Amino acid sequence: MVVAQNTRTNNPVGKSVARNDVLEKVTGGATYTDDIQFGPGLLHCRVKRSPHPHALIKKIDYSKALKLPGVKGVATGDDFPDLIGLYLKDRCFFARGKVRFVGEAVVGVVATTEEIAEAAVDLIDVEYELLTPVLDPEFGASPEAPLIHPDLGNYDHPNFIFPVANSNISNHFKIRKGDIEAAWTQCAAIVEHTFRIPHVQHVPIEPHVAVAKCEDNGQVTLWASTQSPFAQRALLAKALHIPESDFRVIAPLIGGGFGCKAGVTMEAIPVAMAMKYKGQPIKFRLTREEEFYTNFVRQGLVIKIKVGCDKEGNLLALQNRMYWDGGAYTEYGVNVTRAGGYSSTGPYDIPNVATDSICVYTNHPVGGAYRGFGMAELHTGVDQAMDMLAAKIGLDPVEFHKKNCVQGGDVLATGMVIHDVGIKECIEKVAQALDWEIKDKPSAPNKLRGKGVALAWKAPAMPPNAGSSALVKMNSDGTVTVSVGGQEIGQGTFTAMAQIAAEALGVPYENVKVSGPIDTRYSPYEWQTVASRLTWSMGNAVRNAALDARKKVLDVVAEAWGEDAKDLDIKDGYVISYKTEESVSIKDIVVYGLPKPNDGGWIGGPIVGAGSFMPSYVTGLDAETGQGNRAVVHYTTGAQGVEIEVDKETGRIEVLRAACAFDVGKAINPDMVRQQMEGGFIQGLSSALFEGCQLVDGVMRNPSFVDYRIATAADVPAEIDTFIIEHAQDDGPFGARGIGEHPLVPSIAAVAAALYDATGLRITNPPFSAEKVYLALLEAGLVE
Amino acid sequence: MNNAHPGLPDFVEYVKPASLEEASKFLVAHAGESRPFLGATDCIVRMRDGIWKTKYLVDVKGLDGTNQITFDPAVGLTIGAAVPMNKVAAHPAVIKHYPLLAEACHWVASYQLRSRATIVGNICNASPAGDTIGASMLLEGVLRVFGPDGYRDEPLNGFFKGPGRTNLKPGDIAVSVSFPLPPQGNSGRYIKLGRNKLGDLAIVGVTAFGYPDSSAASGYRFRIALASVAPIPLRVPKAEELLASKPIDEAVLAEAAQLAYESCTPIDDVRGSARYRKQMVRNLTRNALVDIWSKIRKDA
Amino acid sequence: MSFHRITIRINGNLEQVDVPGNLTLLQMLRDKLGLTGTKNGCASGECGACTVILNGDAVNSCMVVAAECDGAEITTIEGLASSGDLDMVQKMILEEGGVQCGFCTPGILMSARALLNRNPHPTEFDIRDAISGNLCRCTGYNRIVTAISRAAEAESAAVK
Repeated sequence: MVVAQNTRTNNPVGKSVARNDVLEKVTGGATYTDDIQFGPGLLHCRVKRSPHPHALIKKIDYSKALKLPGVKGVATGDDFPDLIGLYLKDRCFFARGKVRFVGEAVVGVVATTEEIAEAAVDLIDVEYELLTPVLDPEFGASPEAPLIHPDLGNYDHPNFIFPVANSNISNHFKIRKGDIEAAWTQCAAIVEHTFRIPHVQHVPIEPHVAVAKCEDNGQVTLWASTQSPFAQRALLAKALHIPESDFRVIAPLIGGGFGCKAGVTMEAIPVAMAMKYKGQPIKFRLTREEEFYTNFVRQGLVIKIKVGCDKEGNLLALQNRMYWDGGAYTEYGVNVTRAGGYSSTGPYDIPNVATDSICVYTNHPVGGAYRGFGMAELHTGVDQAMDMLAAKIGLDPVEFHKKNCVQGGDVLATGMVIHDVGIKECIEKVAQALDWEIKDKPSAPNKLRGKGVALAWKAPAMPPNAGSSALVKMNSDGTVTVSVGGQEIGQGTFTAMAQIAAEALGVPYENVKVSGPIDTRYSPYEWQTVASRLTWSMGNAVRNAALDARKKVLDVVAEAWGEDAKDLDIKDGYVISYKTEESVSIKDIVVYGLPKPNDGGWIGGPIVGAGSFMPSYVTGLDAETGQGNRAVVHYTTGAQGVEIEVDKETGRIEVLRAACAFDVGKAINPDMVRQQMEGGFIQGLSSALFEGCQLVDGVMRNPSFVDYRIATAADVPAEIDTFIIEHAQDDGPFGARGIGEHPLVPSIAAVAAALYDATGLRITNPPFSAEKVYLALLEAGLVE
Repeated sequence: MNNAHPGLPDFVEYVKPASLEEASKFLVAHAGESRPFLGATDCIVRMRDGIWKTKYLVDVKGLDGTNQITFDPAVGLTIGAAVPMNKVAAHPAVIKHYPLLAEACHWVASYQLRSRATIVGNICNASPAGDTIGASMLLEGVLRVFGPDGYRDEPLNGFFKGPGRTNLKPGDIAVSVSFPLPPQGNSGRYIKLGRNKLGDLAIVGVTAFGYPDSSAASGYRFRIALASVAPIPLRVPKAEELLASKPIDEAVLAEAAQLAYESCTPIDDVRGSARYRKQMVRNLTRNALVDIWSKIRKDA
Repeated sequence: MSFHRITIRINGNLEQVDVPGNLTLLQMLRDKLGLTGTKNGCASGECGACTVILNGDAVNSCMVVAAECDGAEITTIEGLASSGDLDMVQKMILEEGGVQCGFCTPGILMSARALLNRNPHPTEFDIRDAISGNLCRCTGYNRIVTAISRAAEAESAAVK
C-alpha cells in the first residue's frame, strides 16, 4: 500500500510513498509532446518511405508534390549528407544513394496540414534498382552475402566496438576464457542447440512524436517524446554542424519508451526539415503502423549454444555464438551485441567460455535498445539450454540453478570479480512461492500443467563514462526543487529522486518537487534514460547534490550560531543543534540567510546544491579475449517462475501464476519496485506468448495492433508474487541498483521451461503461440 | 508495406441524408465513390488503410425511424441496423430467446468497439471472420433492405458472395435484420479462437446451434457455421445432414466435426496456417456440438 | 471540403463546432477543443487510449466521425472529476499504483467509469473484459483491475 497523502514522510528511503507524477496523469492534465499547442503556424511533416528492403535510388521526382497547395517544401538525403549514430556513425537523415530497409525515409514533405503532407507523399515518384536483400543474419555474416554498407570500414565508432571492414559484421565481440576444448572432455553431459528469437516491437502506447523549430538565427528547439534529450542534442548538433548550445531539446512526459525512444530515431526528420524551412515549428508523428515497421525494433537473434557440466551438475564450459539481426543500421545495435557478449554466460559461474557475439547488417528494420538490451534474447537461449542440461544430467532445475548461479567473489567470463549478489535467495523465493516441490494436477482432462523457472542478470550497458548530474535548489517556503536530466518515463524516477533528496537532506518527502519537463537548456546533464541506470547513477548525483545543499545550510547555521557544523543536523525540515537543542526551520535560512549578531550584517544566501556522478572504474576489454579488470558497473540479478496450463485442444498456454524475485540492492520505494516486477514480467510474458514481427522478404506483415497482439487485461495471471532481495550495492545511493529492465529478461525462458515440464516439448523459437504449441503437440503425437 | 494514413484523407465528405429515398438516390448517383455506413468501425479503418478510397461516407443510421430492437413473441426479433452490438447483447429478449446472438456479439473486438459496431454492419461488410454472421445465419436471419426499387428481404443463407461481397447493390441500404422465433428447446454456442483471449479477429470461429426435432431421423437438428476458413461464412450441410439422420452419440458428433474439417478451405495468413485452422475447426466444432448436445438431449 | 456545424454537450458545457467530414471525434476533441487528455494511440480502434463516454457509453473516439455527433453528450477525462473531487476510479487507481507512464490511463478510466455506470457490481472477469480494449504496456494490468474492483466496492458502500 502507498502512504496516504497530506503526510510528512521523513526518511522516505525504503518507504512506498505516493508517486509525485501521477495526479495529473489521472485528470488528463499531464502534458505529452503531442499535447503542446503550437498555434496556427504549426506545419506538419510526412515521409515518403522505401517499399524495398535493398535498392539503389535511381531518381526522385517530387515536382508534382511541390505543386500541391499547402506544401512548403521537401528534403532528401542530398540536403543532409552527414552520418549520425550513437555507437557507430552509419545512419543518414534520409536515404542517400540506396535504401536498406522497408520503411526507410527517402523524402520528407512539409505542409500546412498532415493531410496535405500525406497527399503530397503520394505524388512523389521514386525509381529504384533492386538489389539482393540480406534477410538472415547468419548468411549476412558470411563472405557470400552482398554488402549492405560498403563504407563500414570508414565509419566512426568508439574503441570498444569492433567492426569488420568489407563485411556485414559491424561488431564482433569475443570472449576466450579458460580452455574450452579441454573442458568438453571432462563433461558428463553436453547440450548443443540453436535458438531463434524473433524481432519484437516495444509498443509504447504513445507513438513517437517530435516537433522542431529553427529560428532565423540558427537556434534549434526540439520538443520530443524522448528518453535521451542530451544524447539527441549532442548527436544532432554535431551532424548538423551547429553548437550544442544552439540546440535545445525539451522533453515532456513520455507515454512509454522501453528503449525505442532512446538515442535518435525519427526526431532527426523534423529537425532536418526545420533546418531547411526555418521560422515555423514542424510536427512529425508516427502512425501506429509506422511505429511498428519504421522504428527501432528489438533485433532478432540466432543463438547457438553448447554447454556442458560434470556428473554432479557443475557447469564446466559454454560456447555461445550469437548472430544478431542488426538490421539496416546498427548505430545502437552494435552495443546490444557487446552487452550480449560480455554477459553471455547468463548469471552462471562457468570456468571455460568461448563467446562470439556478432552484429550483422541485414535488410531488416533497424535494431535498437529494448528493455533488457539484449538480455531477454540471450537468456531465452542460455536459460533454456541450462534447463535442458539440468534435465540431461538428471537434476531438478531449481537445484541446478542454485548450484551454478553466480555468487559474490566469482570471476566472471570477462575476468571481472562480481560483487555480492542475492540471486540464490531469489531462486529460493520463487521456488517457494510456486510450491516447486508439488506437482499440481491439471484443472481439466484436456489440459497439461507445468512449472518453470529461469534466472536473469543484467548490467547497465553504456559507455564507461556515462554521467549524471543534479541540482538541489532550496526555496523560501521550505520546499526543495530537484533538477535532473533523466526522464520520467513511467518508471517513477521523479518519485525516487525526491525520496533520495529528502533522505539526504533531512526534509519530508512531500516537500521535494522534481522539475519537469527536462529541458537541455535548464536541466543538468544526464547521459540517457536507459539501462536501468537512473536510480543508481542519477540517484547518486541527486544524493551528492542534496548533501552539498545540506552542508551549505549547516555551514550557515553553524556560523550564525557559533557552533560546529558537526553538532548540527537537519530533521523534518528543521536545523537542530544537538549541543544547544536549538532549532530553526530551514525555510527561514535557505534563501535569505541569517543575520549576524548585533545587526552586523548577514550570513549565507540562496542555497543551491550541485552534484554529479560518473563511474570511474570501468575498464576496456581485450579485443580477442574479452578479458579486462571490470567490464561493467554492476549486475542486478534475479529469478522468475511460472505455472502454466496448456490446452491440448487449441495449444493455448494459460499462465496460472507467477513469481518474481530480484536483488535490487536497496528498494528506494518498494511498491514501485514491485510495479516494475509486475509490469516487466507481463511485457516479457506477452513476448513469450504472442509477439513477433512477421518479416517476409523484408516486409513486416503485421504492422498494427490488429495483427501484432500484445497482452490485454484478460491475458495475464491474477497472481504474481514479487520478492525484493537487498544485497546493498557498494556505490549505489543507499545501496540501490536498478530494476527497470530486469523483470522481463527471464520471462520467455521461464515459460519455455514450464512448457517443457507440462508437455515434454522444447520449443526454442518464441513466441509460444497457440498454433505453434498445438502443431508441436501434433508432431509429437501428444494429440491426434 | 503498410501505407496507413494518420487519419481520414481530406477528400472524405460526410453525408447525412434525411430519408432512405434520399440516401439511396445519392448512393446510386455516386456509385463507386460513396458507401453507406453505420457504426463506422470497419469503414474508418479501411479508409485509413487506403483500402477504400471512398469520397462520400453516407450515414444511414436510423433513417427508417425505427432504430431499435423489437421482439414479438408471435413473430420474432427485429434489430434495427443502427443498434450497436452492446445494446443487442444486453437486451432482455435477446438474452432470453436468442442467447447465441448475445454470445456472438460479446466476442467482437472490445467493449468500446461494440458500442459503435452493429450486427447489420458486420453482415454487410461480409468479412469471412465476422463474429456475428454465423449466429445470424443459423438463427435464420433475414436482412431488410431498402433499394432503388423499394424494400426487399434478403435471407442470409445465400447472401454472401465472397470476402466483402454480398447481394447488395449500389443504392441498397440495410435497415434491419429479423429473426424468426427459434425452435423450442434449442441451444447454441459460438466458440472463437483468437491469438490472445479477447479482442482478436477469429483465427477460427465456430457457431453451432441445435434443437430437438421429431421430423428428423435422429430426433435432432443441428446447424453449423464456420468463420475464417473459407471466402464466405461457411455452412456445413454434410455435417448437419449427418446429425439429422444418425442417432447421436459422441462418435457421431466427432464424425460431424470431421466433416466440418473436410469441408472448410482455409488459407495461410498472418493470423494462422490453413493446417492449424482445419485442426481447430474439427476440435472446436466437436466441443460446440458436445456442449449443445449436453443441453438439448431429451434423456439428459 | 465541406464543414458541418454541430452542437454537443461536452463535460457539461454546450459547444458549437464546425467540423470537416473527415474529422474524427478524437481529432475534434484534441485539435478543435484543446481537450488533449484523450490520447491518440493507434487511430484504428485497437488501443483504447482515446476512449470517451459518448451518450452514456464508452467508445473509441477515433472510430466516430465528428460530424455524426450533433446533439451528442460527451464526457472526456477532463470531465471525470467533478468540482475538484476525483472520481472514485481516479482515486483508486492512484492508491493501487495503477499508473506508470499514464498514456493509457485516461482511456482506462473512461472505460472503468462506463463499466461501473452500467454494472455497479462487476466480477473480476467483467472488469478484465471491460478494459481488454485498453492496452497498457507498463503496469501489467492487475493493479488497474484491483483499483476498479475497489472503486465498485467503495461506491456501493457509499450508496448503502
